[in-house]
Amino acid sequence: MSGTLLEARDLRFVRRGDAGPLKVLDGARLTVARGEVVDISGPSGAGKTTLLRALALMQPGVSGELLLGGRSAAEVGPREWRVRVALLPQKPVVFPGDVRANLRAPWQLKVRADERVPDDDELRAALDRVGLAEVALDREAVRLSVGQAARVALVRVMLTAPDVLLLDEPDAALDADSAEQVAQLTAKFAKDGAVVRVRHQRPDGVHARRLRLSAGRLHGVGDSD
Amino acid sequence: MTETAGVVAIGWPQLVLSAGFMVLVGIISIRLSLGIEKDLAIATVRTYLQLFLLGLTLRWVFGVDSPWLVLALMLLMIVMAARTILKRAPDAPPGIFGSSVISMGLTGFIVTFAVTGLVVQVEPWYRAQYVIPIAGMVLGNSMTGIALALERVFADLDGRAEELVALVALGATPWEAASPSVRKAISAALIPTINSMAAAGIVFIPGMMTGQILAGADPLAASAYQIVVMLMVAAATAIGSVVAVMLTFRRRFSPDGVYLEKGIRDDEHALADGSGSI
Repeated sequence: MSGTLLEARDLRFVRRGDAGPLKVLDGARLTVARGEVVDISGPSGAGKTTLLRALALMQPGVSGELLLGGRSAAEVGPREWRVRVALLPQKPVVFPGDVRANLRAPWQLKVRADERVPDDDELRAALDRVGLAEVALDREAVRLSVGQAARVALVRVMLTAPDVLLLDEPDAALDADSAEQVAQLTAKFAKDGAVVRVRHQRPDGVHARRLRLSAGRLHGVGDSD
Repeated sequence: MTETAGVVAIGWPQLVLSAGFMVLVGIISIRLSLGIEKDLAIATVRTYLQLFLLGLTLRWVFGVDSPWLVLALMLLMIVMAARTILKRAPDAPPGIFGSSVISMGLTGFIVTFAVTGLVVQVEPWYRAQYVIPIAGMVLGNSMTGIALALERVFADLDGRAEELVALVALGATPWEAASPSVRKAISAALIPTINSMAAAGIVFIPGMMTGQILAGADPLAASAYQIVVMLMVAAATAIGSVVAVMLTFRRRFSPDGVYLEKGIRDDEHALADGSGSI
């Protein structure tokens, strides 16, 4: 398939369940093209978060094959892979320090030592785009509300410009207006990259290919607008 | 009471008398339902037995005067200390016994022989009368420091689990993700030592100096010894906890750098079916 950015083949993962081993992923396969938004739904405990973590090389014990732009995960290497395929965990995490330090945290890491750190203007503009105009850069991050923290965490990962963004219920903690802004930003991001979202809420206006995870595999359920 | 070379020897009557006080504490414990009388009795008996055994052993070791015996004894102390560390840091990942032995051994040998060889300059270098007590102090203190550091580092990492996952997702190495916890744990391990250095001589007379003074040594000579030992113990605690934490924190991460949270740790058992990793 041309334009394929991320490809997962035959993902398998077994977890210890209450009644013996549980096949959370049982040969799951997924192909994501550049410019695409893929929404994954499924019952609670079906393994949606596990799947996202597996795609980010963050679920030890998963077997299968992962390719990014045709290169295998082993070729790319785990750190570089996570920079290119960025996972935003469901629970928003803020680091110690102010909002500015939080947004710049990715550039404190060795893996981005050669990259330019975004300046205050860029950070400000990025916050404004997700409805955080009232949040000052020197606000202590612990004083953010859950919804604000969720958007700061989203802005932080978007600023790193990954190829694929993995979002685990990105609008779970958001009110309707903020969810709308996040949806627009997600759609805009997907023009150059690709987004895989775990969502089971109503369609949010983002054109997405919808998949359902059940029995450890992904099944197509049509597109949403 | 008999006095030899300035030491007042303690005889059986005095030993029995001191146990009398423990009986008193035991009665208080029963009256107030503290429920500690059994532990108290066991601890008292252990104190008698262990310290007399130690006395007999040391008398024998001093008599044999063999470097191999001294080294073997130090090794035994190191292994016992490593076992104690495992017990005190129950949340630490499996397989830290080896790291504990290495860090205890490293500090134990380096610091002990630095004191006996360079500072006290004992002849011959293995003289048990000096090496064993100093090794005991060095190992005992660095054991406490190492246990504290290991307990802290893994507790702090688990407390920051969500933060660690987010950092790793942003491309952090295990060291980049863990270093705040590592720093916190090492400082926590050093604080008791630093506090006791600051309070030494003002709030209390340190144990070794007390012993030497009771044994008839000149207080000034005793204080010189105590200074050396305190500094060396501080060094041993610092080196020991740094080495131990640096050798072990990585075990909480998978080979390709994922933090192993509590949930993931449990799943490891289910993965024993040999399914490969990506």
